[in-house]
Amino acid sequence: MKCLELWAVGPELALGLMCLLLVPLAGFVRGKWRSLPSIVAGFGLTAALILTARMLPWSGQEVFCGTYAVDGFGTVFKVLIIGSALLALLPIAAYFRGRDAEPHAPVALTFATLGGVGLAGSLDLGLIVLFLQMLSTASYLLVGMTRGGKRANEATMKYFIYGAVALAVMAYGLTFLYGLTGSLSLTEIGMALSGADPVWVWVALSLVLVGYAFEITAVPFQFWAPDVYAGASAPVTGFISVLPKIAGFAGLLRLMLVAFPDGLAGWPTLIAVLAAVTMALGNLAALRQTHLKRLLAYSSIAQAGYILIAVAVSGTVDGALPATGYYLAAYTFMNLAAFTVVAQLERVSGQDALTGLRGLSKTAPGTAALLTLALLSLAGIPPLAGFLGKVLLLQVALSGGLTWLAVFAALNMVIGLYYYLRPVVEMYLRAPEGEIRLHVQPGYPWALGLTTLGTLLLGLWPAPVLALLANLTRLLR
Amino acid sequence: MVNLIIFLPLLTGLLILALPASRPALLRWTALGGSGLTLLGSLWLWLGFDRSGLGGAAGGVQSRTLLDWIPSIGASYDVGLSGLGLAMIVLTALLMLLVMVYVLPQRERVKEHAFLFLLMGTGLLGLFAAQDLLLFYLFFEVALVPMYFIVGIWGGEGRRYAAMKFFLYTRAGSLAMLLSFLALYLGTPGTNGAAHSFSITAVAAAQPYAGTPAAFWVMLGLLLGFGVKLPTFPLHNWLPDAHVEAPTEGSVMLAGAQLKMGAFGLLYILLPLMPDTVRQYGWLLAALGVISMVYGALAALAQRDLKRLIAYTSINHMGYVMLAAGLWGLTNSPAVRELVLGGAAFQMVSHGLLTGGMFFLVGILGHRAGTRNIDAFGGLMALPRFAGLLALLAFGSLGLPALSGFVAEFQVIGGAVGVNVWWAVLAVIGLLVSTGLYLRVLAGVLMGQKPDGLDIQDLNGRELWAIVPLAALSLLLGIFPSLLLGVVAATDAVTGATGR
Repeated sequence: MKCLELWAVGPELALGLMCLLLVPLAGFVRGKWRSLPSIVAGFGLTAALILTARMLPWSGQEVFCGTYAVDGFGTVFKVLIIGSALLALLPIAAYFRGRDAEPHAPVALTFATLGGVGLAGSLDLGLIVLFLQMLSTASYLLVGMTRGGKRANEATMKYFIYGAVALAVMAYGLTFLYGLTGSLSLTEIGMALSGADPVWVWVALSLVLVGYAFEITAVPFQFWAPDVYAGASAPVTGFISVLPKIAGFAGLLRLMLVAFPDGLAGWPTLIAVLAAVTMALGNLAALRQTHLKRLLAYSSIAQAGYILIAVAVSGTVDGALPATGYYLAAYTFMNLAAFTVVAQLERVSGQDALTGLRGLSKTAPGTAALLTLALLSLAGIPPLAGFLGKVLLLQVALSGGLTWLAVFAALNMVIGLYYYLRPVVEMYLRAPEGEIRLHVQPGYPWALGLTTLGTLLLGLWPAPVLALLANLTRLLR
Repeated sequence: MVNLIIFLPLLTGLLILALPASRPALLRWTALGGSGLTLLGSLWLWLGFDRSGLGGAAGGVQSRTLLDWIPSIGASYDVGLSGLGLAMIVLTALLMLLVMVYVLPQRERVKEHAFLFLLMGTGLLGLFAAQDLLLFYLFFEVALVPMYFIVGIWGGEGRRYAAMKFFLYTRAGSLAMLLSFLALYLGTPGTNGAAHSFSITAVAAAQPYAGTPAAFWVMLGLLLGFGVKLPTFPLHNWLPDAHVEAPTEGSVMLAGAQLKMGAFGLLYILLPLMPDTVRQYGWLLAALGVISMVYGALAALAQRDLKRLIAYTSINHMGYVMLAAGLWGLTNSPAVRELVLGGAAFQMVSHGLLTGGMFFLVGILGHRAGTRNIDAFGGLMALPRFAGLLALLAFGSLGLPALSGFVAEFQVIGGAVGVNVWWAVLAVIGLLVSTGLYLRVLAGVLMGQKPDGLDIQDLNGRELWAIVPLAALSLLLGIFPSLLLGVVAATDAVTGATGR
């Protein structure tokens, strides 16, 4: 049959089959079998990861009649997405253990992963909408599975409504692209768009950016993040702060580089401004937070701003795509490490106030040290992963001629240090008020160990990862 | 051997983390042993150093290790010994050991305390050996972070504020420095497939931005980074707070070793990598230098708190290094350049010895008396050990001949006379004020009537072990300056820049 190159979508098939298997399985399991879906999802994700990794050396090609790309860019992003899903599965499984939603959480996680993986490869406007919806809907569900009363319900509703509106606006923008060029294919749009009326191209660009700005929490569509992050349980927050963001950046980069070639409609400048505003807003708002999850929410907005720097120069600077990939990988490790600690804390005290960390270095020295490492990495202190990530971002900004943005970002990183140190102050520089006994669920130490190891290794010995990320530059266009 | 020296403190620190916290004495002695071995190793390097400056593999840097670190962006693990770096390595190892001697009886959170000091040791030693800008930056911040915790956990009343201020100031400076490093990197062609290179040798050979308007901004970034750490006026604001709040051992490392990171960067990175720009803006550096000297001395004069007073004298002393860098740019005479650079390097070592010792003495005094206000003291001449050491260190700091401070100040001011006599006049004003200052400290603490209720024990054996080596070395170097000058003159970056 024509256009049915199933060999090219091994990981997607594996994930899809896993979803089909997990849905009925999650409905039937009882008693001690309720943890089975998590285990199955773990194996499924691992299989998909291996299948994806095998595709790395493949040369780029379009499959399914030009609607889906198999190229180095997509494959590396799929590795990042599936890898982050695997890392996030550990704390999520640990958190939901013994709760109502125990068998269902891994199902939603797998669906979201499939959505993200599909988005990374999509070359067709229809597929983009489809996979974005799949990713988002599964994420809404995951947030909603936290039975935490009013705040959790509010978070779910907010996430859902914001997401639905943003994605609808984006779909509307995509229809403009179709109207202007008569094609649904990004490649063909890219060829035809330079001849179109610049005003309409700009309108389409602005509308499409809404959806991606929502996914990656960029200004002005970041409003949902603090409330949703705070309302969901910490492991779920960790997941939605990482996976939709990676997938969003994959989709955004492919759209910009393929459909808007050569900086059409001035998108590099637009993105550069968005980057500056996003990091400044995230950092300034984070200064005033008193709760860890809200602090990390604004931090993740700021981090998205940093990554947008590389997006702004991705069309002109060779190292920009690897820099994006590296930063996203680093961000995954350090952010998940931080949220895993928050999860443990939440379990004990039922809340995530900064004051709850007081004296943690005495009561739980190991956990305190690991959270400190994660925060210092987010602040960009060497030799941790966040440091090299920031070096790469600043470097591509300077080589892309965006000196002002590099200087602005450096100023932001100074502000960032202040609020990343505030939990550290509570943990190390203040005496404990009463005994804190951290609850140790089996999944948490593993998640914390793996993410910390990643943060350290990525910073100290980045050469292998950078060699892998060099594949990102093989983008079909 | 260089690699071993750099990482021995860290390895000792990791070992301490693995040892049981219930045996603090064991932890203390382990830290002491690790620091002792580090010092022995660095002395071994000192003895084996080729003073002709021609030994070693490439570019006069000796005992070099060059490994791929991040080949795709042209960053390598590249360490080796320059004369200046070696002097700083020995100084750091010595101070670290003496600090470990001093804190032997300290029993609060021993594990973390020892680990943080050892981690800082690795950062400092690595920084002074680094031959790659990215690696330099990495060690720079690795040395910085432990200091934040040391001030923040073991400091005085306002420790949280002081620690945060210290970290934010330094981080702001270091990020400006990072941007400049990246700019230099982007202006340097790379080798082995990488587009650019972070290697200090490669950047020095490429001389990026020479003669362009961008050069000023690149230099400014470096000045911000090194200037905060030095510290130079007007970036010095964090220093008094950090010193006053830091525990004694933290002050010693901060003044003795950490300030040298900035001075080392000025001499080993700014001068050789941007000589033309420094030449153009030599007046700026020299002006910053003399302002720091005069301001530091005057501000110190206004202090009543002895620790704060000593902290301000650091601004005065480090001003000599900035002035020397400026004079280097203002002159074309190789003889004058060698003179001022030798003086600056000498000042770095001398200040580490003298001010390190001063902070020990003031810390002990404050600890025993419960106050550090100069007015609360008097008549301490009755304590012969304390009085003798304080007098020796103070005379060394004000530049009495036969002590190390004299050589440094004589060389820099002598060089200033050779460039423009007005620089020398301004520098001498700073010197006069600081002379008065030290005499006032001596008079206030040692002379006069002992106030009622002031009952202080003289230094005990452990404290003597911590301070006497510093004073003795200052005396030794004051009498035989060539011991040190011979080594620092072999610094390729310095001599190479001198000959340019």
